[in-house]
Amino acid sequence: MDDPKAQVAKAKEEALSALASANTVEELTAWKNTYLAKKSPLSQLMGLMRQIPAEEKAAFGKTVNDARQEVETAFEAKKEQADKAALEAKLKAESIDLTLPGRHYDVGKTNPYWLVVDEMSAIFASMGFSIVEGRDVETDHYNFELLNVPKDHPARDMQDTFYLGDQLLLRTQTSAAQAHTMLDSKDKAPIKMICPGKCYRRDDDDATHSHQFGQIEGLVVDKGISMADLKGTLERFVHQLFGEKRQIRLRSSYFPFTEPSVEVDVSCAKCGGKGCNICKGTGWIEILGAGEVHPNVLRMCGYDPEVYSGFAFGVGIERIAMLRYGIDDIRRIYTNDVRFLKDFQEK
Amino acid sequence: MKISWNWLKTFVDLSDVTPEEVASRLTFAGVEVDAITPLSKADHLVIGEILSCVPHPDSNHLHILQVDEGKEFGIHQIVCGAPNARTGLKVIVAREGAKLPEVTIEKSTIRGVESDGMCCALYELGVDKKRLNEKQLSGIEELPSDAPVGETNVLGYLGLDDVILEPDLLANRPDLNAMENVAQEVGCLLDKPVTLPHYEDPVNGESDFRVSSKVAACPTFGAREIRGITTAPSPLWLKQILESGGVRSINNVVDIGNFVMLLTGQPINMYDADKLETRSLEVRDDYQGDFVAMDEKTYALQAKDLVVCSGKEVGCLAGIMTSASCAVTENTKNVIIEAATFAGASIRHTSRRLGLASESSARFVKGINPDQTAKVLTICSALMKELCQAKEVLSIPTYDAAKHETKVIATSLSYLNGRLGTNLAEDEVLSVLRRDHMGITKGDGDTFTVAVPSYRIDMDGAADVSEEVIRLLGYDRIHSKLPIVETAHGGFNEKQKNQLAVRRYLRDIGLSEVITYSLVNQAQKDAFAVLTEGENYQVINPLTEDHEYLRKNLLASLLDVASYNVAHQEKNLAFFEVSDVDTPSTKGRHLAMVEVGEESLQGSWKKVPYDFYSVKGVLEGILNLLGFTMSRFQLHPYVDTKEEFHPARTAILTMGKQKIAVLGELHPNAKKRYGLGKAPVAVMELDLDTLLSLRTGAPKASLPPRFPSVTRDLAFVVDQKVTFDDIRRSIVTLNKKIHSVEVFDVYQGENIPSGKKSMAISITFLDEEKTLTDGEVATLMKNIQDTLSTKFLAEVRAA
Repeated sequence: MDDPKAQVAKAKEEALSALASANTVEELTAWKNTYLAKKSPLSQLMGLMRQIPAEEKAAFGKTVNDARQEVETAFEAKKEQADKAALEAKLKAESIDLTLPGRHYDVGKTNPYWLVVDEMSAIFASMGFSIVEGRDVETDHYNFELLNVPKDHPARDMQDTFYLGDQLLLRTQTSAAQAHTMLDSKDKAPIKMICPGKCYRRDDDDATHSHQFGQIEGLVVDKGISMADLKGTLERFVHQLFGEKRQIRLRSSYFPFTEPSVEVDVSCAKCGGKGCNICKGTGWIEILGAGEVHPNVLRMCGYDPEVYSGFAFGVGIERIAMLRYGIDDIRRIYTNDVRFLKDFQEK
Repeated sequence: MKISWNWLKTFVDLSDVTPEEVASRLTFAGVEVDAITPLSKADHLVIGEILSCVPHPDSNHLHILQVDEGKEFGIHQIVCGAPNARTGLKVIVAREGAKLPEVTIEKSTIRGVESDGMCCALYELGVDKKRLNEKQLSGIEELPSDAPVGETNVLGYLGLDDVILEPDLLANRPDLNAMENVAQEVGCLLDKPVTLPHYEDPVNGESDFRVSSKVAACPTFGAREIRGITTAPSPLWLKQILESGGVRSINNVVDIGNFVMLLTGQPINMYDADKLETRSLEVRDDYQGDFVAMDEKTYALQAKDLVVCSGKEVGCLAGIMTSASCAVTENTKNVIIEAATFAGASIRHTSRRLGLASESSARFVKGINPDQTAKVLTICSALMKELCQAKEVLSIPTYDAAKHETKVIATSLSYLNGRLGTNLAEDEVLSVLRRDHMGITKGDGDTFTVAVPSYRIDMDGAADVSEEVIRLLGYDRIHSKLPIVETAHGGFNEKQKNQLAVRRYLRDIGLSEVITYSLVNQAQKDAFAVLTEGENYQVINPLTEDHEYLRKNLLASLLDVASYNVAHQEKNLAFFEVSDVDTPSTKGRHLAMVEVGEESLQGSWKKVPYDFYSVKGVLEGILNLLGFTMSRFQLHPYVDTKEEFHPARTAILTMGKQKIAVLGELHPNAKKRYGLGKAPVAVMELDLDTLLSLRTGAPKASLPPRFPSVTRDLAFVVDQKVTFDDIRRSIVTLNKKIHSVEVFDVYQGENIPSGKKSMAISITFLDEEKTLTDGEVATLMKNIQDTLSTKFLAEVRAA
């Protein structure tokens, strides 16, 4: 029988040497079952204790423990390494095709008509305008009479208006909302509103005409409201919609319900005013009609024109959409071809 | 109105401005000039005379000409193909180097013969072919025999050196249909004096002819009798003015009428005095019967059509066209000239009904100066005397029921500045108004009155004066500011915010938002009429039968969009629209959606077909978003009989008797009708207005339960017809401690008897007062199983 100490060293060496050739999780498990099992030489070393003189027992115990500790530590280190390698291998085996598309949810597209309506409404709402909703079916009285378009005015001819009855028609302009708002105001309080809505005119549909189209009407009525207020409001609006660098200019025009009446041009975004194909060389693009509310309109709608004044404006929704997005034909808006809609999305 | 630059120059000094500058000034002042068109465009021209003309030896249509181009240029040989080339003809020659719109002239050899220059037709100089007659279009221009050979200002000689400005006149400025008034406007804008022509009245007797009106629509009727006239071609200056104004020259008599109309805006009518039935003309509106106009066509006239009668015969359809029977001809010797005022509305009505319009009717429709009858008759008379050698010019008493009061508008500087938001000085305002031919009378303080010239029929009140001032001074004089308005509230109201939220939600879950036409056809008007029934609004005067009815539901329009896109190879679609839908008896706003094909989850390789549950899910999402619980509504099967909806996969959501939504899958025959094939199609239409008008309580915070809940699963087989909702209701009503019931599997098929389905549910128990014991839960589960067995004959498979 060898010296107990030599037996300890031998058991340790054997264990460590076997450990050196165990690398996989399986080999290590087998090794553990052999060398750290109860019956393994290493586990049975304490059995040698009885051969050790009493005064050396403590030292021998320590030697045995140290040997076992050293082996176990070596095993743990190896095991950890093997586990890591095994996990890595497992994860590697779980590889997928990263180029397949993700499970995303696309946001739906928005017809440019609605993009313009929503954006313009939000701009005016932020400027304190309330949003009035008129109706498509109007009476002659509200659509024409109260807007200073008398019976004989050419604009009332059958060729321009879809009639539903003697006095009933499809509104030809959102301006009809002006009269409603003023007449509905019981205490004749100040008004600051916009009215987006659909309008109808008896036009054959082509690239630039549509029997149905959208407008946004604006109306501000209070004491002392002037053309300067109109210009300032529209400037603010244009800056928000088209950008701070854009300028506006007013040109004299005619509408029965405003006096003075103006067309409002905005400086061309493409050329900045130098003239290009978008603005037809003028540097300016006409975007809306506006003016100071005609005293007759105020009077008929219950606001004393000696006390109150106001301005009104009307913007064509499709016109803005076509300018903004370079749409060549108004009919595209109403066709809703998804190959067309794909480019329009609210942010 | 076409404005001839050359003619305009005779009234206002335009030597220091270009047509473009004047056009720009006019445009900013509200007279938008659409086009600036030179009458012709050519240089290096000279008037030549053909000295000899011999056939080209190598051609059957070309000629070889020797053309005298005057002392400076001498004689040149020109090969010419015009059939009317002949010896002695005076022609326009484009010399070597001439730039014509289509070609630059160079010396060349044509079939072996040298040619130096080109004899021109007018259209080759850029003259609009519409202005030319057949002869002018088929050959070279034939100049008068007295044309000066060697003259190089050929365009000037022909009156073709003109530039035409074409303004797009707005309805408020019909006065600018008269050259006199255009000159006044331009003079005012340029701050230059205007010289209008003066005519001496050559009247030399009184006529026994009488004119009158029986109708208010003709308040003024002036006339002259001109006797012993000589009809002849008009002089060149008159032809040129007419032609630049877009009017073809006929002869001196007719041309005078048209000239006066272009100059003053007053339509002139002429009758052959010897062809009238009586020695009188009367305006009436009670004639009914056929009328043969000067264009040789017959028109059926009705009461209310204004006519000018001589005895029983209609001499003229008032303001529109003379009768063929009494129009002036080349043989006319004695003429009655009419200068009347007819109401625009009446003329428009008749003109539109008959589809007959003229330069004259166009002017009456827009409105004319009612106050220039005498002046106009004077000009006509003077020209008749001068150009037609009239022997007698006889006056006829004017019928005049009009008031002819000068319009006077009272206003003040502070009013104008207040309206415009400007700080203009009195001097500047008054001087610009005076320049605009307004008569100014100063009043107290800063007040003044404005006397309006009679041609400005658009001006009525002080607001018009404010526009006049600022359009002439320029809108750049207005400085921007922002209004301060004390309104009660601004921005979107609750309902509007909720609608925005619903639309946003739908887009966020992948539906696209579209807009379609509200006017639909006969077939569409009653399609999918579940939410809104009854009559549609019908357009009395539709343009096409495609757009004849105002829709009352939206699905038909949306299915058309689906149909269009499917026809263009799109397989999967999901979109919606929000629109008002009004009928004579209802006002509403609907939201409709259509889903076609499959929802793509990962590119196009993982797909879930759209079905009833996909639209129901959207509905539930909307109700959740708005804060409603489903328990507020009732869902019923909707059995469609019109082959629109799938009869077994369609439901209607109600709130009491009110229909809130219809949702389901499309009937296969409807899919076929819309060309959607076999793809799954699910649709929904929702009464958005009603939904948004419902009240919801303010949200309340709910605390997490103090005691833990317990969840148990249960699987069973029941008859296929038993609904989950029936099961859920009967379970939750068993005991207060049964908190909720959810379904997590429904299965039909293998291992399940036919007509049955397997259902797996998950039940959550909760006691608000204490922790539930296993025993309590077991007892409740037993209760539930018993209920399912007895009530639904359920066969419990696993608990």
